[in-house]
Amino acid sequence: MIENYILMHKGGLDEYRDNIFVNYSSSLTMAMLYLPSESDFSVADEAAVAALVNSSSKMRFIDLSESVYPLLTDLKNYMLIRINDKNITIERHGRVYAYIVQNGELKMLPNGVTSIDDKDRVICCTAEFLRDLNEIAILSDAVISDSAEEWMDHLVCRISDANRLAQGNLTAVTMIVRSGD
Amino acid sequence: MQVSFSDRPYLQSAVFAALVLFVVTAVAFIWVAHVYYRKKLSGLPGGNELYLECAYFSEIGKRPSQQDSVFISSLDDYRKYGITALVADGMGGMRYGGEIAQKVADFVEGMCPMSFFATEQNADILRSFSNELYEEYKLQGGSTLALVNISGNYMNYYSVGDSDIILIRDGTPTILNPRQNYMTLLIKSLCRNNKTTQTAYTNAKAKALIDFMGNQDPKVIYTRKPIRIFDGDKIIVSSDGLTDAVSLRHMKHYIKDSASVTATLLKRAVAGRKRPKQDNYTAIVFSVKRGYL
Repeated sequence: MIENYILMHKGGLDEYRDNIFVNYSSSLTMAMLYLPSESDFSVADEAAVAALVNSSSKMRFIDLSESVYPLLTDLKNYMLIRINDKNITIERHGRVYAYIVQNGELKMLPNGVTSIDDKDRVICCTAEFLRDLNEIAILSDAVISDSAEEWMDHLVCRISDANRLAQGNLTAVTMIVRSGD
Repeated sequence: MQVSFSDRPYLQSAVFAALVLFVVTAVAFIWVAHVYYRKKLSGLPGGNELYLECAYFSEIGKRPSQQDSVFISSLDDYRKYGITALVADGMGGMRYGGEIAQKVADFVEGMCPMSFFATEQNADILRSFSNELYEEYKLQGGSTLALVNISGNYMNYYSVGDSDIILIRDGTPTILNPRQNYMTLLIKSLCRNNKTTQTAYTNAKAKALIDFMGNQDPKVIYTRKPIRIFDGDKIIVSSDGLTDAVSLRHMKHYIKDSASVTATLLKRAVAGRKRPKQDNYTAIVFSVKRGYL
């Protein structure tokens, strides 16, 4: 099982423009879209991406990637994630990032498949979310947290201390691998 | 029959080679013995292990008494047990703040040598001790706890309240432990409601602690997995008397390679602020360095 907590906060803007689409099945499949102010994305394309992710449980990751690519080409900043308790597969484009806590360090995940272990902690987030954080802060909050929600709460407090959550949209997912559950 | 070197040129070469071999072996032996004894005397780790320089200060500020307490385990035991360091800040304005802080320091001293890997059990022991304090003092006092346990290339930490554990890497200071005050609850609530958090910072009770040693069943923050530390890192364990006077942004100006120089500069920086209500200020500074072998 992958315990996860999703943050979708509008920040200081009038509306929440980023988006996350999730499919909960034996693996967790996710599309994270980052839309800074200069970006634009049609409602129809967004709905199409949502539909693809929703129906992706039996789809190979590469097929999902190829299906969403034409819809997201202009977006530039997005990430596809598939994670189960054995490995995580990501494909990231532009200013969205994924990190894993391993051996007391925070490491950026490369595109492709990475094996993971029980209790590993993973975070996927946009550049806006990361703006007032650093790797040591993310790492420290990860290793003291019992749950994905608690980890996110600590990170939000740090961002709040820096900018009162009054900047752009804040989009992130914290995940903890629970192999025994 | 007499044999001279001139009769046996190969014998001359053999003796010369044996002499060179003897000299090289002797030099190597002396060097290894020298390094071994230096290491043994200094207690420093070898190979790729890290070692620590440590310095601390504890000043009264403008308060009538010292309510901060400090404990640092013996550096002589560093190679075997690692090092444990604690700052406990007695809660100001409460009758038994200083007394409880001293009891927390004494208790942590009694826990040493602290098991590096049993962090959950250590947190449970600290929580149980807080319950004992609660029974004894019935909330007429309390103390924070900021504790680091460093072994080899890794660090665990424990925290209750709002004292600070700061890691400085590549010149950038980061407070590791979240503060357990009312503001964090306000921020959480505002975030859940998709709001900005300015109001949390103007709330009069924002800095009030929601957990401390002496409270019943406090949440002891602790690392489930240790954090890797590197050559060049600096670690500061401090009461909020330091970080209230010297902001994190300015702290980097006082960080030097030597722990004792850093501690001296930080102490002078707080004194130099001349804040009329300066709280007690205490800090333990570690400088992480690579073994010289």
